[in-house]
Amino acid sequence: MTAPGSDAWRRPPLPSLLAAILLIACAEVGGAAMVKFKLELTRWARSVILARPATHGLVGVRDVDEQVIDEAIVKFDAGLRLFHLHAEGMGLVIIATTMTAATLVRSDGVRRAVIVLLSAGGAGYPVGYLLWSALIPYYGVEPAKTIAERLIWIPFGGATIIAAWWLTVLVAMRLVRRS
Amino acid sequence: MRRPPLAVILVGLFVIALGETAGAVMSQLRPQISGSAEARIAANPQRHGLAGSAEYDTEVIARAVYSAEAGLSFFHTHAQGLGPLVIFASTVAATVVPWRRARGALHTLLALGGLFPLGYLVYSVAVLERGRDAGIGIVERYVLTPLGSAVIVGLVALAAFIAAERRRGRAA
Repeated sequence: MTAPGSDAWRRPPLPSLLAAILLIACAEVGGAAMVKFKLELTRWARSVILARPATHGLVGVRDVDEQVIDEAIVKFDAGLRLFHLHAEGMGLVIIATTMTAATLVRSDGVRRAVIVLLSAGGAGYPVGYLLWSALIPYYGVEPAKTIAERLIWIPFGGATIIAAWWLTVLVAMRLVRRS
Repeated sequence: MRRPPLAVILVGLFVIALGETAGAVMSQLRPQISGSAEARIAANPQRHGLAGSAEYDTEVIARAVYSAEAGLSFFHTHAQGLGPLVIFASTVAATVVPWRRARGALHTLLALGGLFPLGYLVYSVAVLERGRDAGIGIVERYVLTPLGSAVIVGLVALAAFIAAERRRGRAA
């Protein structure tokens, strides 16, 4: 970390910056891939759904089944879009918050903990939307959501929320002490 | 790069933390949120134009609940975007703008504008308490437009100051 002066920003650790940049890059690639391969992705999801009629509650009546399949594909598409959106946002959140922690948190242990939570939580959380999307054709909308919640959203999202509030309180305390 | 005043950084962090928490709350408590929204609409039947006809009222209630949930969703996404924006743009102001008063004005505008996402929280509440169209109208006029304008004016002024500083540097 660099410390050119008391009113200067300090650079966050390189792994945090790398995680943020990779996340933003993945978001951009994900957005482009969604547009470029929309038809292929939809076809793949549809074929997997049709291969698992019991999982999706398909009854063999075209009118009913088409509605169920459409709904699952809308959610599949929404998961990809939410990955794109959240990965773009969380990349910037990681940079802004780890830079703040690196500069304003005095205790080495606390600074390290906050930065690790923000980096790991921020980088992992958006991946939950990819996982949700990928699992929808195999398990259905709600079961896929439960898996993504347990494996990714709750642990990684929880880490980000705890670290963000921790950092906010530390900065608020510093502001109060100064004034 | 110089860091902006602590108060401005705190606004950015506070908005990010609130936005992240709102996302988790929306995901985990969606049925409870919908239920309490429906209860608030039922408590304000005149403001929502409920007619007592189940078919008509169901549609009106669904639209109002959808708008209230959309407000929460907009709050989450805007907070994630504007929190870092406040920190980065105020860093540019602290680093590039040499005039103290101008810097102070920019930091004030950016910090105020950073509160823009909170307008969507007010939006959600106003939709339920004042009726969908009236609530949205009030919040757009008195909360979203002023706060959104603050961030727009702040960013345009920052661009103007960067251009002025560049010209000054060339002249020197």
